[in-house]
Amino acid sequence: MEREILYNKSFNIMGRDFANAGSVSVKIKNILKEIKIKPEIVYRVSICCYEAEMNEVMYAEIANLNFTISGDEAVITIEDKGPGIENVELAMKEGYSTATQEMREMGFGAGLGLPNIKNNSDEFKIESKISEGTKLYIKINLI
Amino acid sequence: MELSDIVNILECKSHTGRELLRRDVQYCYAADMMSDVLKSCKIGSLLITGLINKQVTQVAEIMDLKGIIFASGKLPAQDVIEEANEKNLPLLTTEKPLFEACGILYTLGLRGKEICEKADDGTGDSLQ
Repeated sequence: MEREILYNKSFNIMGRDFANAGSVSVKIKNILKEIKIKPEIVYRVSICCYEAEMNEVMYAEIANLNFTISGDEAVITIEDKGPGIENVELAMKEGYSTATQEMREMGFGAGLGLPNIKNNSDEFKIESKISEGTKLYIKINLI
Repeated sequence: MELSDIVNILECKSHTGRELLRRDVQYCYAADMMSDVLKSCKIGSLLITGLINKQVTQVAEIMDLKGIIFASGKLPAQDVIEEANEKNLPLLTTEKPLFEACGILYTLGLRGKEICEKADDGTGDSLQ
């Protein structure tokens, strides 16, 4: 059965745009707060969004983040044009990071980004092609 | 403990509104890596960090942090201070190194996620 879409919005995220990095996640958090989603769920969605957003800013050229609320679930899909992830299995391991020195100085590269997304989501899928880009699918149950 | 007490104890300089210092703080977290904060910091904690860029204020908004202390004499840039003021996020700086700042607050009774969760009902703090 098709779920009724209650909310849908698309955001563009520009690679290297550190000045605005994180702003999409804050917007999404405020939307969820406004519609009175349980705080614990709001944090889980926001954390997933923020980690994904920062990955795009750090690694991708450009990305599109789509945020949908339908029925009792929130779905975030992110598709980017970028270098892709060479070894997805390694990237999912806590502590593994390919962040540059510059990224680390900005507070990133703990090797927790993708694991944090996985741990905070109810369903998580990742697909990546070298020199093309990466797609993430993140689903979080709202109740 | 009120933030104003922490200001006195750690000899902090406050870079944001005075009224924000009346906030009550129960939990603390310390890290320089933002994913560490997103992974392990209790919602509504006070963050002690050596990272002074704008990402700290974004993460603070995501995690509803009660405030930020920049340790080891590090000073944030003006745009970070302005953003914190817009978001009503208390920004403090102290000359004390990160370890000392954490140690002093710990001896005064502030705790991190691991210890406080044992005594917690697990519902977390409500959103501000």
